Amino acid sequence: MKQLARVLAFAVAAVLSLPGLVQAQRNGGELVFPVPSEPPSYDGHREETFGLIHPIAPFYNTLLRVDPNDKGGTKPYPSIAESWKESDGGRTYTFKIRSGVKFHDGSDLTARDVKASYDKIIFPAPGVGSTRKGQYAVVEKIEAPDRSTVVFRLKQPSGSFIASLLSPYNFIYKADILAKDPNWYEKNIMGSGPFTFVEHVKGSHVVGKKNANYWDKGKPYLDGFRAIFIRSSAAQVAAVRGERAHIQFRGFTPADRDNLKSALGNKITVQESAWDCILLVAINHEQKPFDDKRVRRALTLALDRHQASESLSKIAIVKSVAGVQVPGTPFATPPGELNKLAGYWTDINKSRAEARRLLKEAGVPEGFQFTFKNRGIPMPYEPLGVWMIDQWRQVGLNVKQEVIEPAAYFGVIRKGDYQAAMDFQCGYIVEPDLDMYKFLSADRNPANYGRYKDPVLDALYDKQSGETNVEKRKQIIRQFEKRLLDEEAHYLMTLQWHRIIPHSSKVKGWTVTPSHYLNNTLDTVWLEQ
Amino acid sequence: MLHYIIKRLLLMIPTLFGVAVLIFLLLRVVPGDVVEARYMSQGSQFTSQDLMNIERKKLGLDQPLWKQFTSWMGGVLRLDFGLSMWTGSPITEEIKLRFALSLQLAVMATVVATLLAIPLGILAAVKQDTWIDYAVRVFSIAGLAMPSFWLGILMILVMLIVFKWLPPMVFTPFWVDPWENLAQLIWPALAVGYRYSAVATRMMRSAMLEVLREDYIRTARAKGLWLKLILTRHAMKNAMLPVLTVIGLEFAFLMGGLVVTEQVFNLNGLGMLFVEAISQRDYTLTQALVLIVAAVFIFVNFATDIAYAWLDPRIRYR
Amino acid sequence: MAVTKETLDRLATPKPERARWLQATLDFTRQRPLGAIGAAIILVMAVVGLSAEWLAPYDALQTDYGAMLAAPSGAHWLGTDAYGRDVFSRVIFGSRTALIVGLGASIIGATLGALIGVASAFFGGRIDLVVQRIMDVLISFPLIILALAVVAILGTGVQNVILAIAIPMIPRCARVVRSSALAVREMPYVDAARAAGFTDARIVLRHMLPNVTAPYLIMLTAFLGQAILLEASLSFLGLGVQEPVAAWGLMLRGAAVEFAETAPWMAIFPGLAISLAVFGFNLFGDSLRDALDPRLRTQ
Repeated sequence: MKQLARVLAFAVAAVLSLPGLVQAQRNGGELVFPVPSEPPSYDGHREETFGLIHPIAPFYNTLLRVDPNDKGGTKPYPSIAESWKESDGGRTYTFKIRSGVKFHDGSDLTARDVKASYDKIIFPAPGVGSTRKGQYAVVEKIEAPDRSTVVFRLKQPSGSFIASLLSPYNFIYKADILAKDPNWYEKNIMGSGPFTFVEHVKGSHVVGKKNANYWDKGKPYLDGFRAIFIRSSAAQVAAVRGERAHIQFRGFTPADRDNLKSALGNKITVQESAWDCILLVAINHEQKPFDDKRVRRALTLALDRHQASESLSKIAIVKSVAGVQVPGTPFATPPGELNKLAGYWTDINKSRAEARRLLKEAGVPEGFQFTFKNRGIPMPYEPLGVWMIDQWRQVGLNVKQEVIEPAAYFGVIRKGDYQAAMDFQCGYIVEPDLDMYKFLSADRNPANYGRYKDPVLDALYDKQSGETNVEKRKQIIRQFEKRLLDEEAHYLMTLQWHRIIPHSSKVKGWTVTPSHYLNNTLDTVWLEQ
Repeated sequence: MLHYIIKRLLLMIPTLFGVAVLIFLLLRVVPGDVVEARYMSQGSQFTSQDLMNIERKKLGLDQPLWKQFTSWMGGVLRLDFGLSMWTGSPITEEIKLRFALSLQLAVMATVVATLLAIPLGILAAVKQDTWIDYAVRVFSIAGLAMPSFWLGILMILVMLIVFKWLPPMVFTPFWVDPWENLAQLIWPALAVGYRYSAVATRMMRSAMLEVLREDYIRTARAKGLWLKLILTRHAMKNAMLPVLTVIGLEFAFLMGGLVVTEQVFNLNGLGMLFVEAISQRDYTLTQALVLIVAAVFIFVNFATDIAYAWLDPRIRYR
Repeated sequence: MAVTKETLDRLATPKPERARWLQATLDFTRQRPLGAIGAAIILVMAVVGLSAEWLAPYDALQTDYGAMLAAPSGAHWLGTDAYGRDVFSRVIFGSRTALIVGLGASIIGATLGALIGVASAFFGGRIDLVVQRIMDVLISFPLIILALAVVAILGTGVQNVILAIAIPMIPRCARVVRSSALAVREMPYVDAARAAGFTDARIVLRHMLPNVTAPYLIMLTAFLGQAILLEASLSFLGLGVQEPVAAWGLMLRGAAVEFAETAPWMAIFPGLAISLAVFGFNLFGDSLRDALDPRLRTQ
């Protein structure tokens, strides 16, 4: 009886959490949305920008996708693969490919196309570039024994393999086309997605229209969509405010949200989520005095994160105080535990006193001057830079900011030509392996700009990666976090980004996730009259 | 005259070539390249050196500089600007829409400026050192003093609050929907035109003053000819020359120099494209843009000089 | 005729003006009231810029997250910005930045331009031709685009911004000064000096430069206003002076636009400050030009 009640409660909760199911979907209408940047090419396997995902993803399908109703953005959900199973102790994954899926040119999509697409990503022909090859280093080979089966064989078991297949970039292309020209998809669009390509006017917009033969019967609900390229964020807000656009999928600032809400009231619905992006400060371990961990600890201790969480969240797209995992996600450290780390204490005076003590102990004089390099992007680099410089000033550090143009930025940082610099981490899915890879020793990961080697940290990473027990894995992640942020203070975290999507209340069937790369196939989205 | 025209035309060649060399070298000195901009700007952890090399090879960036330069120049001589390094599409396609917008905005701003400058300049000159003169000068100097992006911000703010007007989302070409098109461009044209008129008004005033001081005008005045007649018949023609020069040069400037105004009014013109191209290290596109803008500038310069020579027989050319 | 150094110097140096500065100032004010207003604005700006520490009620860098985006009041005359910093104090400190950048860029630009212009005119011939072509090339680059390229190469920050603004000014000044210098070159005392065996450098510095002072000063004052405007534009684009330094263009960026509706003071006052400063320099420059050379038309 108790069991039945629980099941019932669960079912009710499930239904309520799926807003799309409560109301009957309406067919028709064109979804209009501004996109802050224009796709350089159409090839998802090649590009790394949401500027490609937002206008182009609706033309394609991926092998798996993230459950469109999962606000956490982590649940695997079938797409081209109807189902999958793991065998051979986690070394083999077998996918059953859906039948009846057709490309926009009318041909059938089969296991062969899936294999060809993933081969292009993981085992590119010589001379063909692949952006995400390194992410799938664990894959040994891919097989397509028949039309409806694809098998991935791994070199060793990997807890994050399925998560890596949820990547929104891995469009399934047609094998025959790839065989003729692996670069064909850079300039052409031909997928199996819920929408078909109509036009792209350079510097203006991309238009898609409903794919009437879509395999998922009844979908998409929209007649079409229009993605408009608008760089200026003020103009994007104006478009939503003037009800000429329904939604912008990347995110607006708190000020924009408040303006929209006060101008349009109930016509605006706001969805918010912690955002799987964070700015962190890389500290150059090869430069004195930053080779001294007391100095690095002082830098993190000087930051009043709790106060900033309240004040900066009014003016910038940041909010939660975070460790190495997005707060609220399965592997994140609960706030009570997190507040024990250096720089996370709730008593800022005690924290600053400790910072001053450490600086003194390390022989850093009052008024010590250093340069903080920041990237020339206004939001949220600028407010966080201003905030940190002010915080450091309060423990007697005199910091000058040098802003470097975005395109040149990582080149400069990678060369180690800095003392302390803003670094950036952003993922399409919250997953410890992907999120913590950044912090591995510099010889294992060239994108670790702190230039340190820490075998203890590396060992902890490997240990958590192979751990299948969730609770045990959490414990190891916590040790990793404590070593990284507190004991060694290799890197220091600012605040977790905060994604704010104020959209027209007419837009239904779309759920915000922690990633602006996810949930943009638009098949479930519909417009209320 | 013909000799002069030919000489001036020939002088354009080394200048354009110099512009080409300069921008080519400048871009190579700027740190970072298009491949870095593409693969490292998202903070990706998996970008390999291998991938960057493949991409550089694809774009010909592994070639020695002189080879890159000659192959680019070869294309330019055949009026082929090549492909954008960022998008891989032909540059003419990338520029088409933006060029139309910038050209139209420049023309509209010029009209606004001329309509303001000529009457105001004449008025100020005729009423020299009276309060009218001062008022005109303050008005025009204020136009020069206000940053046009600030004026734009204020204009948008006022129109938003008072008229509920919002900047448009995309550029609609005139031939598609003239009304929509004008509604979009009239405000930036006013903001830019005002600043632009300030230069022209001052030039009109001083040129007019100078002409009014010349002997033949004095004679005409002494003979009792109607002032208005003098102004229209004699003075206007000669005073127009320097004004023409200023208008021409400003026009050329407007074609590529409206970076900030375009940003404020959300216009996708050549100025914004330039900033984008530089920030993406799209060498080919930036080079093409600079050449085009410089060519427009040099040509307008040339045209006004010729017009000058043609209109004013007093000027002799060596 | 025996040419002595003294005769040459006497010939070359313009006659000394009456040293009665007060009288001159009064005359200028009476004859050119607009110019006097301009001079007054510049003076105020200079005083404010120099004594910012004493005039500003707050430290321009002092954040106060308890008073973010506060409206103008007794405590904050012009309100506060997104970090709770006092806008009035930042406008005051901003005038210092504007002066440093404006003066630095226009002095460097105009002086280098004048030197190049004079040298080019003096040497004439092939050198002149080559120099002029180079100047043509630089002039054909739109001003802001050249500045953008310079910032992209050198990076941001006050010194680099000064250079980025100065470089496009060089050819503009060089052209004007060259044409004035060309006229001077034909004058007899330059020939005489050459005949007397003076070095090129000496002739240029002692004899030609003083005679191109008028166009030089005119260009310099014209550049001052432009430099302040350009600095504001570059900072607005994020390519100029960087936070947390107080600079007017920077104050108009980001939050000022975002909060324009709810906190308009953030956008209004720095913009007014820029306009007023440039207005002052232009008024003064115009009158100076009229006073020095009513026929000079360029720029």
